[in-house]
Amino acid sequence: MVVLMQALVMLRTITIGLAVLASAAAGQQNERRTIRISAERFAFTPSRIEVTAGEEVELRLRSNDTSHGFRILDADNLTVNVAIPKRGKGELTVPVRIDKPGTYRFECSRMCGAGHDFMHGEIVVKERAAKAGENDRERR
Amino acid sequence: MNRLALAGFALSLLAAPVYAQSTAEQTPASQTGPFSGYMDFHFNKEEGLAGELDFHRFVLLFHHSFSPRVRFVGELEVEHAFVEGLEDAGELELEQAYIDFLLSRSFNVRAGMMLVPVGIINERHEPPVYNGVERPFVDTVIVPTTWFEAGAGVHGEIGRGLRYRAFVMAPLNALEFSADEGIREGRQKGSRSNVRNFAATGRAEYVGIPGLTVGASFWTGDSSFEAPRLDATVHVGEVDARYQRDRLELRTEFAHVAIDDAGRLNDAIQGLTGVSPNIARALRGFYAEAGYRVWNQGSPRDLVAFVRYENFDTQYRMPGGFQRLPQFDRDAIVTGVTYYPDPDVALKVDYVRRRSQSRIIRNSNAFNVGLGWWF
Repeated sequence: MVVLMQALVMLRTITIGLAVLASAAAGQQNERRTIRISAERFAFTPSRIEVTAGEEVELRLRSNDTSHGFRILDADNLTVNVAIPKRGKGELTVPVRIDKPGTYRFECSRMCGAGHDFMHGEIVVKERAAKAGENDRERR
Repeated sequence: MNRLALAGFALSLLAAPVYAQSTAEQTPASQTGPFSGYMDFHFNKEEGLAGELDFHRFVLLFHHSFSPRVRFVGELEVEHAFVEGLEDAGELELEQAYIDFLLSRSFNVRAGMMLVPVGIINERHEPPVYNGVERPFVDTVIVPTTWFEAGAGVHGEIGRGLRYRAFVMAPLNALEFSADEGIREGRQKGSRSNVRNFAATGRAEYVGIPGLTVGASFWTGDSSFEAPRLDATVHVGEVDARYQRDRLELRTEFAHVAIDDAGRLNDAIQGLTGVSPNIARALRGFYAEAGYRVWNQGSPRDLVAFVRYENFDTQYRMPGGFQRLPQFDRDAIVTGVTYYPDPDVALKVDYVRRRSQSRIIRNSNAFNVGLGWWF
């Protein structure tokens, strides 16, 4: 009976441990990197952003003057074309994940003045570095 | 472990979007129609003169995308509300009408009617983005804003925030230069512009640090196409900086203009008109401005107080044998406030104290009120 109780306690401990591990792993995946971008006639700062393929990032865009647009071009499976609120009217949050490595342009999509077409930048998506363990498995 | 991680991630996907979505904590966005533009409505009261109400600028901007990489931008401006034959009554100007071929972040091609990339104000002149009812004097009589011309060139951004533009454009017409307004009246404005010679212009600008913009620009071109025996090449050099942090806003600009063969240019114009224009061989101007956002709770609780010192001299250096006139060596202190009921609407009030080095010409101060908006 005692042995059975000990086995049940052990099983419960293992179950809780696995749940905690799963939760921690999920939490790690959920932790998005935040990138703050300021928009002002006629520049995004920073205008070059580097991410890893498949990485989830959260772009937080804030305007220092008028309302600007934010559109990502060239990404086949991604549609972003949103308005950044005017100065003092809040912040725009754009979660982004791009799986395919490459360079993706973004631009202001709302006419913001005489130099509107100068207002653009790029997201550089780099190859995901393979982990040592994964490499070993692939070799086997 | 990996399976557990994958299971955890799969669960997380149910709660978080895979592809881009957006959220914004904001009040309802303003509505914009098919056109954008800006307006500038002024009351100017110069000392000793009657006050004037002037609808100074009515500007419409047009934008069309032929494709994501081929764009058209147009800017049409009516100045002083009413257009007659002479410029004093008003002007209808095509300030921009170009096609952009957007190839990459670092290299793009532009052709058509374009803004000359010199100075802070020439490319960035919407009323809510600068303090003062009127544009700075340096950006009027030294750098002749709004300076636009027909041409073609390239632009782009390299590294982390280093931007450039380099254009070839029609030159200035030196026979239209004057002692009071320098090279301003020499702009051909893309109206059957003579291109016996071409001018080259460019700007490098660093915008990699939030709040800071540092720029340098140049223009150079032989401007004596109507008097080919002269060599009246004009060189413009300019440096500027803008900085904004918390409530503080600072900006400064320095511009220098050199006119080659200015002595013979004066003689040539005198030969044509009977009057020597007394054009200088060098013009120079600079200003420094400090602004402080005294009310900083977001519009409509948004107010900036500012002071700007300007020094500008359209006869900084004269050619041999020509007299430098002290009334063209001027300075100004502009003090005022800009109130933003909306970030795109600016109500401006300022007082301009002007002085020149002349002991004969009377100095005149001015009080101005302006309402400008972008839409």
